[in-house]
Amino acid sequence: MSMELCVLGPLTGRSFAIAGKPNLLLLRPTTLPLLRLSLPLSLPQFSSSSSSSRLTSPSKFTSLSLSRCNLKLRIQIHIIILFSVVFAAQESNLSVSNESETSEWVMQDFYTLRKDVEIASARVEEIRDSAGLTQLEQEIANLESKATDTSFWDDRVKAQETLSSLNDLKDRMRLLSEFKSMVEDAETIVKLTEEMDSTDVSLLEEAMGIIKELNKSLDRFELTQLLSGPYDKEGAVVYITAGAGGTDAQDWADMLLRMYMRWGEKQRYKIKVVEMSNGEEAGIKSATLEIEGRYAYGYISGEKGTHRIVRQSPFNSKGLRQTSFSGVEVMPLLPEEAVGIEIPEEDLDISFTRAGGKGGQNVNKVETAVRITHIPTGVAVRCTEERSQLANKTRALIRLKAKLLVIAEEQRATEIKEIRGDAVKAEWGQQIRNYVFHPYKLVKDVRTGHETSDITSVMDGDLDPFIKAYLKHKYTLAMASAATN
Amino acid sequence: MIRIFPSLRFTPLLSAAKPFCSSSPTREPQQYASCVEAKTAPVPNSLSITPKTPLFLRTPSHATSLSEVWKWHDWAKDLASSVEESSKNSEDSLDPVILHRELKWLIEDSIIDDPLVILHRSEIADGGEKNVKLRASLAELYDLWRQRIEKRRPFQYVVGCEHWRDLVLCVEEGVLIPRPETELIVEMVEELVTSDEQYKKGCWADLGTGSGAIAIGIAKVLGSHGRVIATDLSPVAIAVAGHNVHRYGLQGMVELREGSWFEPLKDLEGQLVGLVSNPPYIPSDDIPGLQAEVGRHEPKLALDGGFDGTDSLLHICHGASRMLKCGGFFVFETNGEKQSKMIVDYMMTNDLKDYFSDLKIVSDFAGINRFVTGFRL
Repeated sequence: MSMELCVLGPLTGRSFAIAGKPNLLLLRPTTLPLLRLSLPLSLPQFSSSSSSSRLTSPSKFTSLSLSRCNLKLRIQIHIIILFSVVFAAQESNLSVSNESETSEWVMQDFYTLRKDVEIASARVEEIRDSAGLTQLEQEIANLESKATDTSFWDDRVKAQETLSSLNDLKDRMRLLSEFKSMVEDAETIVKLTEEMDSTDVSLLEEAMGIIKELNKSLDRFELTQLLSGPYDKEGAVVYITAGAGGTDAQDWADMLLRMYMRWGEKQRYKIKVVEMSNGEEAGIKSATLEIEGRYAYGYISGEKGTHRIVRQSPFNSKGLRQTSFSGVEVMPLLPEEAVGIEIPEEDLDISFTRAGGKGGQNVNKVETAVRITHIPTGVAVRCTEERSQLANKTRALIRLKAKLLVIAEEQRATEIKEIRGDAVKAEWGQQIRNYVFHPYKLVKDVRTGHETSDITSVMDGDLDPFIKAYLKHKYTLAMASAATN
Repeated sequence: MIRIFPSLRFTPLLSAAKPFCSSSPTREPQQYASCVEAKTAPVPNSLSITPKTPLFLRTPSHATSLSEVWKWHDWAKDLASSVEESSKNSEDSLDPVILHRELKWLIEDSIIDDPLVILHRSEIADGGEKNVKLRASLAELYDLWRQRIEKRRPFQYVVGCEHWRDLVLCVEEGVLIPRPETELIVEMVEELVTSDEQYKKGCWADLGTGSGAIAIGIAKVLGSHGRVIATDLSPVAIAVAGHNVHRYGLQGMVELREGSWFEPLKDLEGQLVGLVSNPPYIPSDDIPGLQAEVGRHEPKLALDGGFDGTDSLLHICHGASRMLKCGGFFVFETNGEKQSKMIVDYMMTNDLKDYFSDLKIVSDFAGINRFVTGFRL
């Protein structure tokens, strides 16, 4: 214990520091945030234990920690943190002592922060409660014991599945404890600040950062709760086609492509334009975008439908107001082996694009596009990006299957055979969102009513509010229909 | 039936098993030269020929600043887009849509980093300063793309490879670029050998193998038991096919023999279980009007089928009767429509009429009656 007491030495000198012994400042650690970050798990203890007791002096506080904690290491950590806090507080006292106005602002910020922390804390509680922690732990243990079984790898596909669901559960668990430690870190800072009777701006800023980050993660976590569809976890294939109307519509399709690419970049997904057909003057006739990453399909699947733009045409010398449309189709990006359905050969109409003429040795064009139509439903896909015909056919078939699976799921059909072809057409064509650039600025989702006038941000890929609104809308609809059934 | 008479003129010549190319020296001065060389020199020339390394297999030793690559890409895109006005309404014209696709593939083949850094600049905030590793110097890339558009050099020769079925085959001038239609030959063989295991064990032959595409495709379909012998008259083809066989580790299964049609197969008379070929079948009169990429750059030896295009096909039909064992399968590619019908008619009459059964015409994916298939009785 003597060692800790030694360290405590400078702490007792706090009164000197407040009184203004500037020479102590030389010792001020500059690596404060680093200290916190490396030790988040050691902190919960005092934040929960001392919530009711207002401590008057740091040495008392330390002794409280000492009494509760037997581990030397932990004590040291606490001391170091207090130590740093004191020195940091010192500095802020010195620098703002003559500017009461600023300090008032700081106090206001502090109260806001305290409130934010309280809200976040309640939110974390709630989420952790509803997540069923014990059940989660049980499931993880079950799967782990399965994975250690000697016969585990006999069925590779199944083993792969088990491992991936184990990883999912572990990720969930990790996130849940991360939320807890984050909110506790913020709580600690609040508490320390209260106990210090002084404020350290950088520390408060840090707490604010934590809360902001935490709220984002919580939003995301809640959103994934809404993503429980069988393919929601997969990557996505987004197929954009310009509607009728020439260059204006083709330019609009290009704008949508850019919007989704920006969105994907913001989500840190891996994005690839696998196919793109340029318009004659500007824009694109069509493009296929592959987005790899967890839950990409779940988020973006709601973008499927017709997108309508109203603006002054940049391609028209008179600048007339122009309405154009573009279609967006979204399919899950499924690995080949995951698409387990078989489609009878006679149900498929496979056509190959060829340059025409005599073909064979007479012609050499790298046109290897393949188009496959599922005859019973009329669902069709086209694949041009691969360099050989066979590769295009294989890829097109995977996409067709993915598309059929999604439609089957939407129609609650248990088999591909049950898909109603007539309903398919109507569904893919539904208008879902309006983007008005002129005479006023407004993006409005037809389904959810969600709207914003910040059209620039939306076109820059800021789609999350729309996506979230739609997912909630879908969820509510599903709940309602489940209730009536 | 009428069509048979002109081809009858060739019959004595063909039954003498003379290689076609020696019968038309004037039309093929260049190819003939190589053919004569092959004949006179007992040591196969293919040994001394080193196939070119395709772009995608080269060492990425050219560090280039990204902004320079972007500049090249802009230039190449503009050049591709500009072809439209210059050659509209002509059947033999470049299509900007396809050229853009080719450009994307050229980038995929020549850059070691993610090709996206070139195609979608938005992903990199200030990437212009960054260096990327290229498999060809920027100067060469400028040159290659110019050759593609101005000289109409086939894209596959530009990058040195062709994606065919699930294979990536090296190709170069002097070797026919395998066509997508021909993929069907391998598919037909695959269908046959899955329904009847017998065909997996026997010996197959691919005549005029070129890049080795069909032979390699069939070898992969046959699995570990199969054996394919691929012949070609052109030493360049033999060298390139050998390289491709090697790349797929099929040396033990595909054997290459240099020579005209059946000549290198004398030891296998009556023993082949399968025989496939995509011989030259374009009528000589059509050669001058071919698409520029084909007519100006691909080997005439692999395209020109003589007066009505059937010289080599008829020769192979005769050979098939000798070489295939009972129940042996064959499939030949033809110029389509009239020609395939003519071959079938020819095989059902004359001295071949008792040799084959189940003669069928199979159409390609464009609906053209492209292939003739059948079995040796």
